[in-house]
Amino acid sequence: MSLVLLLVIPLVGGCLAWPAERVSKKLPRVISLAALGLTLAIALPLLHGTANGWLADYNIPWIPTFGMRFHLGLDGMSWLLTVLTLILGMFAIIVSWRAPEEKIGFFHANLMWSLAGTVGVFLALDLFLFFYFWELMLVPMVFVIAIWGHENRRPAAIKFFLFTQGSGLLILIGILALAFLHQRATGVLSFDYFVLRQNIPGGTIGFLIMLGFFIAFVVKLAAFPVHVWLPLTHTEAPTAGSVILASILLKTGAYGLLRFVAPMFPAACHLLAPVALWLGVASIFYGAVLAYGQSDLKKLIAYTSISHMGFVLIGVFVFNALAWQGVVFLLIAHGVSTGALFIIVGSVQHRLHTRDLSRMGGLWTDLPKLSSFGTFFVLAAMGLPGLGNFVGEFLILRGAFGVAPVVTIAAAVGLIPAALYSLIAIQRAFHGPAAAPRAVPDFGFRETAMMLALAAAIIWLGVYPQPVLDAVAPSLTETAPGS
Amino acid sequence: MNQAAPLLVLGGTVALLLAVIAVRRSAGLTAFVAGAGLLAALGVIPTAMHAVPVWAGLLDFGGGVFGFLALMIATATLLLIIAAEYWRRAARLPDQEYFLLLVIATLGACVLAASDSFISLFLGLETLTLAMIGMIAYARPRPESLEAGLKYLILSAMSSAFLLFGIGLLELATGSLSFAGVFAAPVNPVMAAGFAMMAIAVGFKLSVVPFHIWVPDVYAGAPAPSAAFLAVVPKIAVLAVLVRIAALPGAALPGAAVQTISVIAMLSMLAGNLLALQQQNVKRILGYSSIAHLGYLLVAILAAGALGRVAVVFYIVTYGLTMVAAFGVVAMLSNASAGRDAEMIADLRGLFWTRPLSAAVMTLALLSLAGIPPAIGFIAKMYIFAAGVHTDLWLLVGTMIASSVIGLFYYLSMIIAMTQKPVAEAAVVRLPAGGGLVLSVVSLAVFGFGVAPQPLITLVKVMFG
Repeated sequence: MSLVLLLVIPLVGGCLAWPAERVSKKLPRVISLAALGLTLAIALPLLHGTANGWLADYNIPWIPTFGMRFHLGLDGMSWLLTVLTLILGMFAIIVSWRAPEEKIGFFHANLMWSLAGTVGVFLALDLFLFFYFWELMLVPMVFVIAIWGHENRRPAAIKFFLFTQGSGLLILIGILALAFLHQRATGVLSFDYFVLRQNIPGGTIGFLIMLGFFIAFVVKLAAFPVHVWLPLTHTEAPTAGSVILASILLKTGAYGLLRFVAPMFPAACHLLAPVALWLGVASIFYGAVLAYGQSDLKKLIAYTSISHMGFVLIGVFVFNALAWQGVVFLLIAHGVSTGALFIIVGSVQHRLHTRDLSRMGGLWTDLPKLSSFGTFFVLAAMGLPGLGNFVGEFLILRGAFGVAPVVTIAAAVGLIPAALYSLIAIQRAFHGPAAAPRAVPDFGFRETAMMLALAAAIIWLGVYPQPVLDAVAPSLTETAPGS
Repeated sequence: MNQAAPLLVLGGTVALLLAVIAVRRSAGLTAFVAGAGLLAALGVIPTAMHAVPVWAGLLDFGGGVFGFLALMIATATLLLIIAAEYWRRAARLPDQEYFLLLVIATLGACVLAASDSFISLFLGLETLTLAMIGMIAYARPRPESLEAGLKYLILSAMSSAFLLFGIGLLELATGSLSFAGVFAAPVNPVMAAGFAMMAIAVGFKLSVVPFHIWVPDVYAGAPAPSAAFLAVVPKIAVLAVLVRIAALPGAALPGAAVQTISVIAMLSMLAGNLLALQQQNVKRILGYSSIAHLGYLLVAILAAGALGRVAVVFYIVTYGLTMVAAFGVVAMLSNASAGRDAEMIADLRGLFWTRPLSAAVMTLALLSLAGIPPAIGFIAKMYIFAAGVHTDLWLLVGTMIASSVIGLFYYLSMIIAMTQKPVAEAAVVRLPAGGGLVLSVVSLAVFGFGVAPQPLITLVKVMFG
């Protein structure tokens, strides 16, 4: 039952936040924050629960005609991602405490609905329900980009919508095909994850279904060459939108690969693995090289996401528990570090009204707190040992080396351009002479507190990763083939 | 009480309306009588379902006809309220006859849906069409409205000619005018020619490719409530007949017909969505969108079997609800005495800021048309996908996906237009009570059945299963 609350509270919170703007500008923010806090309070203790071999389980009929059920389940992996979603959702609310100003109720309603859809994606164990949430998290985010985005918001919203929605239809067909093939084989129509998993078609049909899922998830993950929606969307979204997009929504693609593609279609995945691995390598280099060439700081960070998600793709397709733990770990660490970076860029833009690196420079003199946190999180994202991202990337490379040494070496070489773009970003933004004289306030209490919390998280992940690995290990050994 | 009670009530309402208009020309009174008549017709349906059959051989109320009747009369009632609000704002036009025409058209559609012989089919169709022409051309000060009426008149007459010729050929070959008699006979070349001619007339009414050319002009020219009626009611009536004929013994489609319908379905899906891309006029876009949606429906019709039949009906319900919502918003934004409706995408700009409720309803309607949760259109499209996948219609399902992706673009650009800031600072405008009521009811249904479709599925299965 508490799983349902994880969905209902954000949804209702959004519905309450919308009209609350009539009372005051602050009330929608307070309501949203309180709703997410309450959800988090319910989610945290679930780690120690047990139900049918999972941490928590909720299963009632939804559309009996088609055997669709409202089946939610929580294991270590979905618990971690749900908690990440809720915490970063709270940061997204806090970061927009002052801006945007217009239609603030509807803004928060959309944020909350999108977060609820994302939590649903991480919890759903009925494939049709999963798809329902998959679509549900999209539309509110399109509104966030289209209404409160920056200057190019219209094409950004359209591109984001068309790519994710269009590829989503491939999932829908795959799900329907799985269900009806299962019905033909057994006479039972079901969309349940565990039921369908027992009867996965092989051969060409199985491969095509797997390919549909794979494409849709990789589009969401934004790996090369289907990343084209990402740079524009992440750049044009308002700060809260960018945080949710980069820290949370990208992760649903990786989650889909880990939860559905790899465990359900092991044979077909092994066929596809060489292609997927090299796509991962290509993403690493492509993202890094393009990040290096950007003059827009926000776009630079967006491209680094493509690069990091390349590691995730490699980690998934080497099929071993170590690399998969690394993948989940990297998802968490990347969520924290990239979320922090987008918050910092948002603060810079709020103060200087530009994202252009050539109009920055020398920020350290004027904004020492902002610049030091900026440097810290750029280094964290780069994979500095002792910080969270390093652990994830190292585990992925360590797990991959035994399976695909050449790919692993290529991916490891990709860390060099990562260092290059990181250092150039730090150098151009924070060091050197100021491009223009400016008198702007540094981080205040609200922003410093957010940064400290995120920094503490990333350090904790870096020096003491074991609790996270322990939480995620059982769900991966259950689904990992041959590990 | 007999089975034809709803039709009799509607006929009585027509007579009463004529009398009322003759005695006292009052828009409010006429609309009230028309509305009461429609509701009474709706109210007698549950009793009529268990009553004795009448006029066997002419009308047949089996096989879920009452469901279709209820759907059409309910749609007409909702559109009547919309129309009353719409015409009230046009002081120069007498609006009493519009309600009369609307009831006559509904009566025609009901007769058509319940017809069991080509005589009642033709009578119903012509009653519907003639009343529709009046409704389309009703906004007389607008040249586009008259033009649309004239276009619809000429093309309807053409399609009726084809239909009559087809009926004549079938009668010649089989000596029968009843559906059962005609479809039981073995097909010979004369009959094949007759069926082909009838197919043209049906294609025209359903406005599928290549009989769709009239759609954008007529939809754009017609006043918004008429366009809504045209988009929904005649299509339900024709589909009701098709669904029932398909269930007759000996009505299995030959291979060539299946292939033809498949091609028509694919062309309709693609053409409807592709042609909508470049449009700036919302009514035209909805017109093209309806072409595409009828293409989707043909997929469900081709996916024979129980799943396909329920999918057809579920989709019709969805389509009706959604189109009423979309055109209803356009009607509520428009001023009937203006030179045109608020029908351009530019007119939608800033709607979220000035009329948040209308914008929310329109967004829900567009999401439903695009097939995105939580709107009912998603479940309906899934139903057709399911029926198609179940019967291995992979090519059609693939085309449906491709054209759905194309369709996303223009639905989205309308939604995005609504989210943009208005050019000038405008105050929030409230919906009039009647329009607000209709739009709330329809959007609640679109949303509610999108989240929990099982009650509607069960209802459809009980009525049509």
